[in-house]
Amino acid sequence: MSQGTPLNEAQALDWLRQLEDPGQRYYAAWWLGRMRSRHPEATPLLIQALAERGPRPDPASGIDEPNPIARNAARALGKLADSRAIDPLLEALESSDDGLREAAARSLGQLGALKARRPMLRRLAPGPLVAGAPRPGTSRLMEPCEALLEALGALGWQEEDGSTITDHEPLLAVVRAYADHERPLIRSAACRSLLQLTREDRWGEQLVHLLQHNELQVRRAALLDLGATGWRRAGAAIARTLAENSLKLIALRGLVENSPARNQASPSPSPEEAELLVAMDDLL
Amino acid sequence: MPPTLPDSRQVQALMEAVQAAQTADDLTDAVEDLSACAHPMAIPCLIQVLGFNNPGAAVAAVDGLVAIGSTAVPAILANLDEYNYGARAWSVRALAGIGDLRGLPLLERALAQDIGPSVRRAAARGMGGLQPHGLTAQQRQELAERILPQLKAACEDEEWIVRYAVAVGLEGMDHWWQPSAAQRQRLLDTLQPLVDPQREVAPVVWLRARLALNRLTTAAPVARA
Repeated sequence: MSQGTPLNEAQALDWLRQLEDPGQRYYAAWWLGRMRSRHPEATPLLIQALAERGPRPDPASGIDEPNPIARNAARALGKLADSRAIDPLLEALESSDDGLREAAARSLGQLGALKARRPMLRRLAPGPLVAGAPRPGTSRLMEPCEALLEALGALGWQEEDGSTITDHEPLLAVVRAYADHERPLIRSAACRSLLQLTREDRWGEQLVHLLQHNELQVRRAALLDLGATGWRRAGAAIARTLAENSLKLIALRGLVENSPARNQASPSPSPEEAELLVAMDDLL
Repeated sequence: MPPTLPDSRQVQALMEAVQAAQTADDLTDAVEDLSACAHPMAIPCLIQVLGFNNPGAAVAAVDGLVAIGSTAVPAILANLDEYNYGARAWSVRALAGIGDLRGLPLLERALAQDIGPSVRRAAARGMGGLQPHGLTAQQRQELAERILPQLKAACEDEEWIVRYAVAVGLEGMDHWWQPSAAQRQRLLDTLQPLVDPQREVAPVVWLRARLALNRLTTAAPVARA
């Protein structure tokens, strides 16, 4: 890694512009995303960095080098809310580097890129035993299922032309298959997605069940997933979960802000929201 | 509980269970049991648990120290671990929960300087939860004059949860300050930047600040009665 931190946006852009020091490029890509840079050059420079690959693919596996600069650029582009990033990210979604596909899927979900629904669904369609199978010799799966499932849930049912998908079953059938995946983190992501897409309580109940999992990592994921869905019936269970208060507070904030029941026009909390706020007060 | 055992022997047994716990869950259970008796003998053991890097057990230990109350304050202050960040954060939370004025300098330093949002948020909440027993109206007014600018400054904190806790802290100040209508207006004014969706980016913060504002304005006539 390079020494020092860029003091300002101009320096971060310089660091990303130069090609000599990959460490500076790596750090600058992260910095621009973290600071949600609104500089007009940030997105074009990050798109260039997204195309950067390791020096050569590993001939034995056919898998690229880990491409840290491209991965950071993909993550940053998800935070900058610039739709020019969508097509390059769709390209990154086809990379042989599953870490890069993962970053691209998350960012496409964050950008609400409706165009990404079809290719993401195609990646998941082979099912949990194929796309969700462990990649030999690694802790990863063949596809970045967690990121893909979460992004599909975030995209909802709207089509690019402004219409709404009426036949839900093909998409739901693909996502539902992952609700029984052997890994609890994948189950959590699938339930989150299904709850967002259907608002059916049974998926929320499964997430609440995961709040009692014996691994802290799973309980943390279920907390954040419930927060993302805004499923308010989970409020009391979240408050009771054995995990850091900071995460429980983020989850409860999600229930307040992300619920379909939130009246955007009201400056005051509803009685149900006030109850969630009181639960938050106790965790401070 | 068998009534024949002396209280201190029970506490001793519960402390031994804490020391003997083999797993994180066992430790949490044992600390919960020890905390439930809220006995001053448990203070050193509960303070020790704050440094174990076990969130479940630490939450239980903080609950126990808060239940014990002011008696625990000198020991908490004497055992602050400058090198264990997590333990210090839990100590601030315990002091914030107890509300003893002797803990205030630590809360003030934490709110202004601590790098951890979880510590700053606990400190902000704690300033609203002070229990200044026996203070005269004049002394409470002086305390409010000291704390109000600090919470006002923390409205600019970069973390939403700290700003949220500032709203809670400002609302809490009303309980111990018991200000006149004119003075209460200063509390309401300090809440203003948090209530305004144009200035506050996190909806949950402006909703909480609005809740505080609503409670302070509707509770006012009752409190005066």
